[in-house]
This record gives sequence, C-alpha cells and structure tokens, in this order.
Amino acid sequence: MRSLNPACKFLSLLAVTMILASIRDPFWNLSAFAISMLLILASGVKPKTLLLLLVPVFLAAIGMFFTGYRFTAESAMPVRPDAFLIAGNSHIMNGITQLSRVLAYAGIGYLFALTTDRIIMVRSFQKQLHLPQVFAYGLLAAWGIFPHMALEYRRTKAAFRARGIKVFPISPSLLAPLLVKSVRWSEELSIAMESKGFSAKAERTDAMPIQIHKRDVAFTVLCCLILPATAILTH
Amino acid sequence: MAKERKAWELKDVIMMAILGVVFAAVYMAVFQGGLALSTALTPFGLANFGFEIIYGVWFMAATLAAYIIRKPGVALITEMLASAIELLMGNSGGLTVVLTGFIQGLGAEAVFAAFRYRKWNIISMVLAGIASALLIFCYELYYLNYITLSPSLLIGQLSVRFISAALFSGVVCTLSGNALARTGVVRNYAIGASADIGRVYDEEEE
Repeated sequence: MRSLNPACKFLSLLAVTMILASIRDPFWNLSAFAISMLLILASGVKPKTLLLLLVPVFLAAIGMFFTGYRFTAESAMPVRPDAFLIAGNSHIMNGITQLSRVLAYAGIGYLFALTTDRIIMVRSFQKQLHLPQVFAYGLLAAWGIFPHMALEYRRTKAAFRARGIKVFPISPSLLAPLLVKSVRWSEELSIAMESKGFSAKAERTDAMPIQIHKRDVAFTVLCCLILPATAILTH
Repeated sequence: MAKERKAWELKDVIMMAILGVVFAAVYMAVFQGGLALSTALTPFGLANFGFEIIYGVWFMAATLAAYIIRKPGVALITEMLASAIELLMGNSGGLTVVLTGFIQGLGAEAVFAAFRYRKWNIISMVLAGIASALLIFCYELYYLNYITLSPSLLIGQLSVRFISAALFSGVVCTLSGNALARTGVVRNYAIGASADIGRVYDEEEE
C-alpha cells in the first residue's frame, strides 16, 4: 500500500467509500473495515498505534449503533428505513448498519492516512490531479506549521491559566493571540518561500517526479470496477 | 493589472491554510470533550449530540478567512484547504472529508456571494455558518445514512448544529476578527482598511 501512487490511491479508496455509501449493507461495510485493518497492519503500522487511533472510532460506532437502534424512522414517518436498508428494517439491523458505516469510513480513511507520505501526497496531487502549485505550497507550509500551532494553543491557554484567568477553549480572548501569531507566521513563511523560489508564478522542475505505475492502474481498476461489479452482482 | 490583483498570492493561500490549521488545533482541543459527552449520551441513543455541540468549529476557518480577506472564493478555498489538512492528519471520517470541505465552504460562500461580498457583519457571518451547517446536513442524510433515523431526532440535531454554527463561526469569528484587526497585524488585508487600529503589537519590540 505504501508504494502506491497517492493520487491513484486517493481516487480508488474514495470510489470504494462512495460505493459503500450507496449500497448500505453492513456485510460490505464490515468487510471493508476488516480488509483495511489487515492492509494497515501488513504495511508495518504497530498494532498498539492502530488500536489507540481506533478508540474514538469504536466509541463513535457504538454511539451510532444506539442512535440507529433507538431512533429508527417508523413506518408512519415520511422516510421508512426498509426503503433504504438492504438487510431489513429491524431496529437492531438499523443500528448495525449505522455502526458498520462509521467503522468502514474510518478504516478506509486510516488506510490512506497511515500508508501515505504527506509530502509525496501533495506533490502527487499537484502532478496527477493538477492541484495549482500555489495551493500545494500553501498546504505544505500549513502542514509544516501544524505541530507549532498545536503547541502555541496549549501555551496560550497555559499563560491565561497562570494569570488566574479561566478561558473557554474557543473564547475570542484565547483565539486572538493565536491568530496574531498565525498571521505573522503566514507572512514570514510566504516571504521565506518566495525568496527560495516557491512562488505562485515561477515554474519548478522535479528531481524525482511522481509517476503512475502498472500497480497503481491495477489497484484503481480493482477498486473502481471489480469491487463495485461484485457488490452489484451479489445483490 | 486588475487580473493580477485577483490572482491568489502565496501569502493569502498560506494564511487561509494556516487558519485551517488553527481551527484544526482548536477542534482537537475540544474533541475530547465532545467525545466524552457523546459517550455519556450513548445509552440514550443521543451520542451524535456530543459532536453537534462543537460542529460549528469546522466552519470557523472559512468564515474568519472570508471576514479578513473579503475576496470571492476565500470561504470555499479555505474550507477545502482545511479539509485537505484534515486528510493529511488522518481523519476518522474517511476520505470524503475533501468533499465535505467543499460542501461546507460552498454554503458559506453562497451567503457572502448573496451579499455581493459587501456586507461583513455578524448577520452575514451567522448566516454563512448556518448555510454551511444546512448543506452538510443534507449530504449526511445520504452519506451517514441519517435518512433512516427518526425525523424528530434529526430536527433536534439540526437545531443544535445551527446554534453551534451561529455561535462559533458567526459570533466568535466576528469578535475574533475584530480583535485581530485592532492589533494591526491584518492591516494589509481588506479588514484592516476599515478597522480602528490601536498600537501595533510587534514581538520584535519586546
């Protein structure tokens, strides 16, 4: 999975996600989740890391199960679940369908995120999906600054606490200093990047261009043609 | 010359992307609270409300960037950049996060366009947040299968989402934008032209 072209991988997995969204079948959702987990582990991600990432997902999935179970649209209502559920119209089945959707989407999302190099992904989007270079540079700059921003947020909050001032996590008095920093960083970064030739207009060449290989085409065909055809035929 | 002015400058794009990062950091900070509330509400089938309360945070980058830069397309592009950053971070909502960003950004952009990019106040900001909330909810009826849930629950969820959007992306963003303008750091942007600028805060002086 790690060696696949990020743009091809993104489009293929996006297609799988949209297919799952349209067929509403817990079997396919749970299968997608299980396959995603196996592929993530096969790509060398530590089981403990994966498990920690999945804790909020499991909590959200259980939450969605109870929501689906307790609040299924009744037959007297304008929208009836049996018109949208392949597997039946019981409350439990509605809960399982809701739960399995959360797991499937999260599984595929993590499969992409945990097996893709971020910098190569942006470069691949620029090359294969024709993302304008000014946006590619903006994304890379913002991605580089993210750890500093999270640290700055915690520092600002701690500074208020040290002065005995209680602030809500999204209060304007907490956001204002953070935003001042952001504007300053964005100006300094853009000047620094432009001085190094990363401007909106100047064209640059790649020492190692991101290319599409046969395996990328095979993966795209598998995800966009074979899997949907199988899903349709089995129903 | 006019064409050159309309083109996106690297400075604008980096600012939009960084605003996406700021609110991603803020969302991460409030996410744990949302998750705890969601877990507490799980036995009652109301887990979604834990996240609905903080849903408005997702639209903050779009409305605040538009409020500062005041150019057509800023809300849409900022929300898409913010969603691309979420994708880079590894998002539990799946790969359609970019599509989600597009829909949310479109909602806010539509409101600013309806005001012909001339009205920048708390009303336009609140409406922009609410439009984002409405559009993304329509998409979730399909994508998250909400269509099979009880309409009374959905009305409740949508109401909480509207309040969250109005509060965070409307009220808080307007206040934060005004506070930012008063510091003078955004004097090079459209918001700076109309702001009552006080002493410019400069780290170098300290």
